[in-house]
Amino acid sequence: MSPDNPIVFVVDDDLRVREALSSLISSMGLQVAVFGSAKEFMESDKPDAPSCLVLDLQLPGTSGLELQQQLATGDAPPIVFISGHGDIPSSVSAMKAGAIEFLPKPFGDDELLRAINAAIARDRTARKQRSELTELQRHYALLTPREREVLPYVVAGFANKVTAADLGTSQITIGVHRGQIMRKMEAKSLAELIRMADRLGIARVSK
Amino acid sequence: MDVQPRDVAEEIKHLQRCINDLISVLALPARWIGGEPTQIVDVLLDALLRMLQLDLVYVQLNDTNGQAPVEMARLAQPQRPADQPHEIGKVLKQSLGTDVQKWPLLTQKLLGDLDISVVPLGLGLQGEIGVIVAGSKRADFPLQTERLILSVAANHASIALQEARLRSDQKRLASELDRLVAQRTTELASANTELRKEIAERKHAEEHLRRSEEKYRVILEAANDAVVSMDESGTILLANAAVRRIFGYDPVEIIGKPLTLLMPDYMRELHEGGFARYLATGQRHINWQGTELTALRKSGEEFPVEVSFGEQTRDGRKSFTGFLRDISKRRQAETALRAAMEERTRISAFREEIGVALSHQVDLKVALHNCAHAAVRHLDAAFARIWTLSGDGRELELQASAGMYTHLDGLHSRIAVGQHKIGLIAQERKPHLTNEAQNDPRVSDKDWARREKMTSFAGYPLVLEERLVGVMGMFSQKPLTESTLEALSYAAGIIAQGIERRRAEEALRRSEAFLAEGQRLGQIGSYSWRVATDKIEWSNELYRIYEFEIGVPVTLDLIRTRVHPQDISLYEKMVEKARDGGKNFEWQFRLLMADQSIKYLHSVAHAIRDQSGQLEYIAVAQDVTERRQSEEALRNTQAQLSRATRAATVGEFAASIAHEINQPLAAVVANGHACLRWLSAEPPGLARAQEAAERIVRDGKEAGEILRRIRALFKRAPLEKTGLNLNEVIVEVLRLLAGETSKRLVSVEMDLGNNLETVEGDRVQLQQLLFNLLQNGIEAMDRVAERPKKLFIRTRLQSPETVLVEIRDWGIGIENPEKAFEAFFTTKESGMGMGLAICRSIIDAHHGRLWAVPAEGCGTTFSFTLPAQPKVIA
Repeated sequence: MSPDNPIVFVVDDDLRVREALSSLISSMGLQVAVFGSAKEFMESDKPDAPSCLVLDLQLPGTSGLELQQQLATGDAPPIVFISGHGDIPSSVSAMKAGAIEFLPKPFGDDELLRAINAAIARDRTARKQRSELTELQRHYALLTPREREVLPYVVAGFANKVTAADLGTSQITIGVHRGQIMRKMEAKSLAELIRMADRLGIARVSK
Repeated sequence: MDVQPRDVAEEIKHLQRCINDLISVLALPARWIGGEPTQIVDVLLDALLRMLQLDLVYVQLNDTNGQAPVEMARLAQPQRPADQPHEIGKVLKQSLGTDVQKWPLLTQKLLGDLDISVVPLGLGLQGEIGVIVAGSKRADFPLQTERLILSVAANHASIALQEARLRSDQKRLASELDRLVAQRTTELASANTELRKEIAERKHAEEHLRRSEEKYRVILEAANDAVVSMDESGTILLANAAVRRIFGYDPVEIIGKPLTLLMPDYMRELHEGGFARYLATGQRHINWQGTELTALRKSGEEFPVEVSFGEQTRDGRKSFTGFLRDISKRRQAETALRAAMEERTRISAFREEIGVALSHQVDLKVALHNCAHAAVRHLDAAFARIWTLSGDGRELELQASAGMYTHLDGLHSRIAVGQHKIGLIAQERKPHLTNEAQNDPRVSDKDWARREKMTSFAGYPLVLEERLVGVMGMFSQKPLTESTLEALSYAAGIIAQGIERRRAEEALRRSEAFLAEGQRLGQIGSYSWRVATDKIEWSNELYRIYEFEIGVPVTLDLIRTRVHPQDISLYEKMVEKARDGGKNFEWQFRLLMADQSIKYLHSVAHAIRDQSGQLEYIAVAQDVTERRQSEEALRNTQAQLSRATRAATVGEFAASIAHEINQPLAAVVANGHACLRWLSAEPPGLARAQEAAERIVRDGKEAGEILRRIRALFKRAPLEKTGLNLNEVIVEVLRLLAGETSKRLVSVEMDLGNNLETVEGDRVQLQQLLFNLLQNGIEAMDRVAERPKKLFIRTRLQSPETVLVEIRDWGIGIENPEKAFEAFFTTKESGMGMGLAICRSIIDAHHGRLWAVPAEGCGTTFSFTLPAQPKVIA
């Protein structure tokens, strides 16, 4: 299974619906895994691939909305809600909490496919952003403590002379640190280094 | 007490006359001095007849010497010769009984023939002297004042008669002695002549004299009175044996001593002076017959004597013989008589004051205080107290205290029934009487009793018709006498009546106030209608309802002015019918008030007939306008509610149908799409398309089944009864509920009996019954978190004719299981409360029984029975 082969998780307590959706989603060329309850889903091993969650609103035990709240903190897949009741208050809160779509049963295959695709696309982007950040963090981890001290000055655009005076060292030493930072962070330009620092949440020194 | 309201001037005149009469009566004894009994009675009869303007007065005197009683009488208008004392006595005896001593004293009695009210009064302490009867044609005879005058007159007459009687006894004895002395003197004289004549006969004469003297001596010695003779010098010559008994001296001891020895010091000079004067002038300084003097016993005690004496001359020298009668006992009797009379007066004053207090005083406390005060004033009570029983009957509350202690608070202000002497009197309902207060076990503070010199205590329960209303008690430093106790006992009776009457009046006032308040609150008026005279009386509330000024005379025409024009004919018919009918009636009509507002009046009348057969209606009329209005409002609300209910029911059904249908429908649609996609794939996924198509068929059928079931729910088709095995029906319904049970994490356990008889029933309805009951059980456990959710279903043959099904949940339980079967009863936030009501109607249609009981521990068990189908014997 290729790492980028997306997978659709279906959680619905009605066996008939699970069977139907499993078949339908397979026919769309997507991997599918079905679960009868939120608990089953939470306890399962999930492959590292772009994914989405087709979630029934009314579930025994943990309800659909409760599961959504539990997943909100982690790197959970985007959610497409399906529901037997056209229950407006529930759909509003589901959408507010970041659901991709809310499909009242019965729904057409196009609607479902559109929603699943949108969800998977969002998951892909999210996954990509998550991996880039991981890469940056790996690079940042290579910096010495002194280099981490110098970095905020560099991204704030201070001249080496000013930085050296501030940190109580020589202009030449700062120049060496700056070179090391650019190399270790694999930044091709100062502008790129500034973007990286932003993403890592490093504050610039301001005077 | 004559409580008739009278003209004040008249009353004063009456009292003045009474005082005058009393003075006249008190003057009678002066006229009686020295009189014979018949003279005394004569005076008495005349005085009473005149004074009290009596029509009849009669006296019978008992004779002590065994002779026939003396009868005397006066009539205001003597008519016939037959109206002699004896004839009158006969009439009285016919009416009052032959035994005069048993005549009811001071009691009014009507003499039939003579048409006269008579009042007998005893003469003497025990009526031993006789009886006096006063009679009058006046119906109100005797008035209190007349009683008083009669009593006083009778008492005085008693004393006078007794004295007269004693006096006549003494006179008889004294004249007898005189006669004897004279005879002796004559005999002596003749004996002397004989001596002079015949010396020979001297001895005989001396013998005769000696015998004669012996005879006198025997008389003297046997005499009850002391007989003492003295000579002119006042020296005692002779004394008889009675001297020892009366004076304490041996007769021999005083012979030769001066007579003054027998007198107190202060009498001696008087005696000597008087005696010397007599000897000198023959003038008597005292009456020689029956003079009362004071004598001196040897012991030094002074005592009253009645002295009669005679004189004799012998050899030119005078000697005097006196008869001295100890009259201290008679004096004591007189004193006792006087005391008794005084006591009687005091007691009648006590009774009168109590009567006045209880009948005149409006305030019970004041009345009781006056009663206690009367006991202190007239019965010598050191203090007297009255308690009343509290409303709950447990305590006595001090209401009045007079005498030494007048405070109403403190230790004895509230006494529990059964505690202390007062509480014990209440508990035992018996008087506690003692003349040994300082040693009485019930007197708790004996030091106090000794210090205050209390001699007696009398406590009476105040009981009326066997109901205790209070306790009355008094301490006295004097012993209690019979008549005091009698007066107290009488007082206890009328005080109890007084308290009870006051309570009854209070209760009446309160209940009248309650009635008025009740009428006001209930807007209920009452009225009476005397049909013959058309006299109508209204209660105040009825005036308010009709909005007429209170007190305006009510007539049928006046009422008519308020009757709503459309109800006038109704009103007239009612009046007409009531006039002839004489039956209870009830009617409603409208009033049109001055401000054009309408009032609805509901009246119920009760027909009664008075003693003369006159028809009267006693009725109530209630202003039911508000009730009519609220009934109207209630009807409107109910209509709104039922509309809202219908709407809500439709909405609810729609939602549940949507839910039931949506699941299979969603599956069908998804499978349809999947099927199409597999078919259009390159290469086509035929096997998977087929699977999807099969699922479409399956789920579609299921949706159809659900729809059919829902339709059946609404269908009011007649029952299609077939033979059913309930176990099968249960399994089918559980299949329908499988989604529900798994979604709500409810586990289902079953104990379905083998060999279950088939029942006759409508499958769809029984399915619905089971569906509702199971659904109910599942929902009852919705909010249960602390224990597993479980449904337990059991079927068995209860009897050869009955199949029993039990469904037990471990839910929150139902407080009132029977109420759960009523329509619109629900414990759920969303729910119509129709489910169980429907169940019951299904079971009823199947001639079964459905009930619910709280299950052991928690939850509820719903049970139903259905009749087993009779077996067909081949």
